[in-house]
Amino acid sequence: MSAKNKSKDDIEIMQEKLQSIKGREGIIGFILRGSNSASIDLKDPTKIIDYAALSAAAFEAGQDMSAVLEIGKVDTILLEGEETKVLSMVINNHRLSIFMEKNVDHNKLCKDLNLT
Amino acid sequence: MNKDPYAVALKNALTEIKKICPDVSRSFIFTKDGVIVAGDSETDEKTMEKMIRSFQSVAEKADTIGSLKAVYVNGKKGKVILSSVNDMYLALATSKNADTTYLHSVTRVLIPTVLKLLETITPTPLQFAPSKQLVVDTLSGFFVGDSVQIDTELLEEWYKLLNQRSVNQVEIEAFGGKATQCKVKEINDPKLKGKGIIRIPERVCKTLEVKKGELVKVKPA
Repeated sequence: MSAKNKSKDDIEIMQEKLQSIKGREGIIGFILRGSNSASIDLKDPTKIIDYAALSAAAFEAGQDMSAVLEIGKVDTILLEGEETKVLSMVINNHRLSIFMEKNVDHNKLCKDLNLT
Repeated sequence: MNKDPYAVALKNALTEIKKICPDVSRSFIFTKDGVIVAGDSETDEKTMEKMIRSFQSVAEKADTIGSLKAVYVNGKKGKVILSSVNDMYLALATSKNADTTYLHSVTRVLIPTVLKLLETITPTPLQFAPSKQLVVDTLSGFFVGDSVQIDTELLEEWYKLLNQRSVNQVEIEAFGGKATQCKVKEINDPKLKGKGIIRIPERVCKTLEVKKGELVKVKPA
């Protein structure tokens, strides 16, 4: 199997995992962004722009902070708000942000996505 | 960086945190407004400012998740943790395998305890005036003296913020890194008021290595 096809399969597998994750209690939704496409699934579609802007800002700040304090390539970025939190990571050149209630175990999500 | 008792006590608290948690390599504390309150000796002010700018860029967009309480960045070689403590934020850089749960328990007890203690024993409330960026205008002539001049409105803003009757001295920092403290007066030329400038005697400009038209950071000393 070519590398391109493998990457495509990996993304499809991740999409399936995300579909299963989004049904769990406390999950608000996710944004998966590749170079040419984006997949967005949020409980409240009116907030898509806000969530997309926050997701982009998280990746940018994560990269900047990592460069400034020399902690190497970024694995995950977690933003915690008063009510909710966002877990962001890059998988196969796709930027994934999962929005959830604060009580959700984000470490378990990482494991479920085979990231730890 | 602020040199008041709060800053000194918090710097000591950061040193203690490092002793308790040797995995911590860098640490500093800043306010919501981005004012650096205290930092360890390993982290220079420019590094802290870059970190604060990154944090603020996220915080500006975080209304949708409630106000931003913490940022955790996990890297291949280490971690960055920025978390709110009372009205401030604590920034830590740690090794990859640092026990963040233990670290949280330590910081969430130590920093608030130090702050509470300071509030009890120090009469002045914890207030930090954010630095302002002003454009340099040079003051020349025989009678210019050593004082710098800034807008009355800015001085009044600082009086209110610091709950003081007056601000007599300011700290001026050039972007090249040179800094100095000077007496401050209101701008006396009505044509120059409200233009976001600071009038600095030529001698002080030489000390700061700045020229007319350049930006400097100014805050009450």
